[in-house]
Amino acid sequence: MAPAVATAAAPPSTNVKPDSLQRSKILLLGQRRSGKTSIHRVLFDNTAPNETFYLEPTTRIEKHIYDTVIPLEIWDCPGSTSPESLGTPFSEFAVIVFVIDISNPMYQQAIKQLVDFAIAAYEESPETPFEVFVHKVDVYSDDYKLENFKQITQRVNDELFDLQMEHIQLNFQATSCYDHTIYDAFSRVIQKLIEALPYIEDLLNVFCANAQASKAFLFDIRSRLYVATDASPVDAGTHSLCCDYIKMLTAFRPLYASAIATPARITPPSRSSSTLPSRAPSAPPPFSPSAALALAQGTTLTFHQATPALALLALLPSAVYEARRGLLEYNVVFLREGVQEIVNVEREARGGT
Amino acid sequence: MKKKVLLMGASGSGKTSMRSLIFSNNPASLTSRLGATIDVEQNHVRFLGDLILNLWDCGGQDAFMDTYLSTQRATIFQHVGVLIYVFDVGAHERTQDLSYFRDCLDALRKYSPDARVFLLLHKMDLVALSDRPAMLARRREELEGESSGQGVSATVFGTSIYDESLYKAWSRIVHAIIPNAAVLTKHLTTFAEACSATEVILFERTTFLVIATSSLQFPPFASPKNGAVVGNGGELTTPSAAETLHALDGTRYERTSELIKALKHSCSRLREEFSALEMELPECTAVLSEMTRNTYVLVIVHDPTIETAAIRINIRLARSKFEELQSDTIFTR
Repeated sequence: MAPAVATAAAPPSTNVKPDSLQRSKILLLGQRRSGKTSIHRVLFDNTAPNETFYLEPTTRIEKHIYDTVIPLEIWDCPGSTSPESLGTPFSEFAVIVFVIDISNPMYQQAIKQLVDFAIAAYEESPETPFEVFVHKVDVYSDDYKLENFKQITQRVNDELFDLQMEHIQLNFQATSCYDHTIYDAFSRVIQKLIEALPYIEDLLNVFCANAQASKAFLFDIRSRLYVATDASPVDAGTHSLCCDYIKMLTAFRPLYASAIATPARITPPSRSSSTLPSRAPSAPPPFSPSAALALAQGTTLTFHQATPALALLALLPSAVYEARRGLLEYNVVFLREGVQEIVNVEREARGGT
Repeated sequence: MKKKVLLMGASGSGKTSMRSLIFSNNPASLTSRLGATIDVEQNHVRFLGDLILNLWDCGGQDAFMDTYLSTQRATIFQHVGVLIYVFDVGAHERTQDLSYFRDCLDALRKYSPDARVFLLLHKMDLVALSDRPAMLARRREELEGESSGQGVSATVFGTSIYDESLYKAWSRIVHAIIPNAAVLTKHLTTFAEACSATEVILFERTTFLVIATSSLQFPPFASPKNGAVVGNGGELTTPSAAETLHALDGTRYERTSELIKALKHSCSRLREEFSALEMELPECTAVLSEMTRNTYVLVIVHDPTIETAAIRINIRLARSKFEELQSDTIFTR
């Protein structure tokens, strides 16, 4: 084994603080300049997609941590990584993501690397999901996009067939940093890692039925990835509106933060001359931000923060929102408590406090 | 009432791109598809109901510029309300650009001496962020010198279609066009007081440009009337004192225009239309809703005891007054 192992085995690199938490590891692989670091930056560091153009190549494995429903550790690998030089058993990883650049006409080499990894990973740990992001699809118009995407998946499957490895299951997704596709694809990756997913989905299904919502998502606010959704199919338009909505709310918040009124708002001073009936001695429930976006054709997209990191977004008839706001809030409280409990259990199970 | 707005500048400086962004609701990423403007493209944009902007997007190729300045001179430069001259900040050929600009000012002074002049240093995104203030100051001085040499006072803005600066410039431009914007400010301030709001902002419906804002109100627990926070004399009764107390983000108006425009665009991709938005955030409570047929109002409240429903009722009750006011402001001129 080559010197690369030394790098990988060296004390945890740059961004990881040693903590006792057992993190789900995501391995990001692919040829150099295929967009691995860009994906990480756009999703988790809020970098604008057009700024990723100037990123320096990654020269050694970088580990980034991110906390959402479950604690994540994302391994961003240099393009030259091979199954041998990785130096960590594949069974360590909860999911492997291989990024392939659709705009690179020399994708033969990438396919070879992909097949090598797929086989190595399968032999060591057949249970680990293996995802392929056919990336940078924004360079093509819709027709070419589909054609090239099909061609790449076909090539990879042919290659595996030739090696009599056609039983390996790879999951292909077309992605681009410039629209919602990367958010959708990575959301699906993360959902595979959440053991409690069925319970969260149940909570959302129950919420949808009770609130007459046609769609509900539980989003991670900072990364704008959805960690769960109800049983109805995800429609690309609704999903991208939800992403843009969260982005807008996050950008709007600091604009009207007042130096003097905002702190007073968060912890209101006790006012003796208050006209409000005096509250019960127990502290009022903590404030949770919410928002509602009304659309002209009679639907409302609501936003309710569930935990500091997560938010519930639901699409429901405006009539229901207007007339039964109280009932809706009541249902949200139950969902919020359920999600909070699941998050706590997950954290405890992984050795956190 | 009609206002003629001339949009001029060298070929490829970004005139049609900004028009498509502001008036046609297209995202910045799609502007690369626009072709060169041939001759003059005239648009009528209904702004605030009875005010119609007659937008003349003048193709900037030399051949067209020469005709504007010779045979079509009278047609182009007559009855101009506003001249917007766009300079590409990254352009190499500046002397040629400036000489056309000088000729245009000359023609304008002759045919429409009362016209307002706005100069946009466009494509500022091409300049590194750290160099922008210095670059803007240098070019502003140069252009202001150039215009005052022609006996015209011009306002210079640095703009880019990729950030909020374009909305800032255009909001200032429409503010100059709207007759009696001060009356709107007065009524918005009364409305803000009625809502216990910190600030009320009025937007035009299609462009989401800021038409008028209320003066800033005192924070709920520091009102000079109950003397809770104020201790140092009567100086805190002026609006600028509220400004200092709140220390709100100085770019908030144009940033709001940009954010809402982007959200409207995402709604349209779903073949839906944006209707209203209310937010209860840790920082403030905000309601954005239709005010009159052609305007939207954003009410910003910091008092945590004020419910969004109360603000919505106030907006509904104020509607007829503002409809009336809007037609008044336009006809009394």
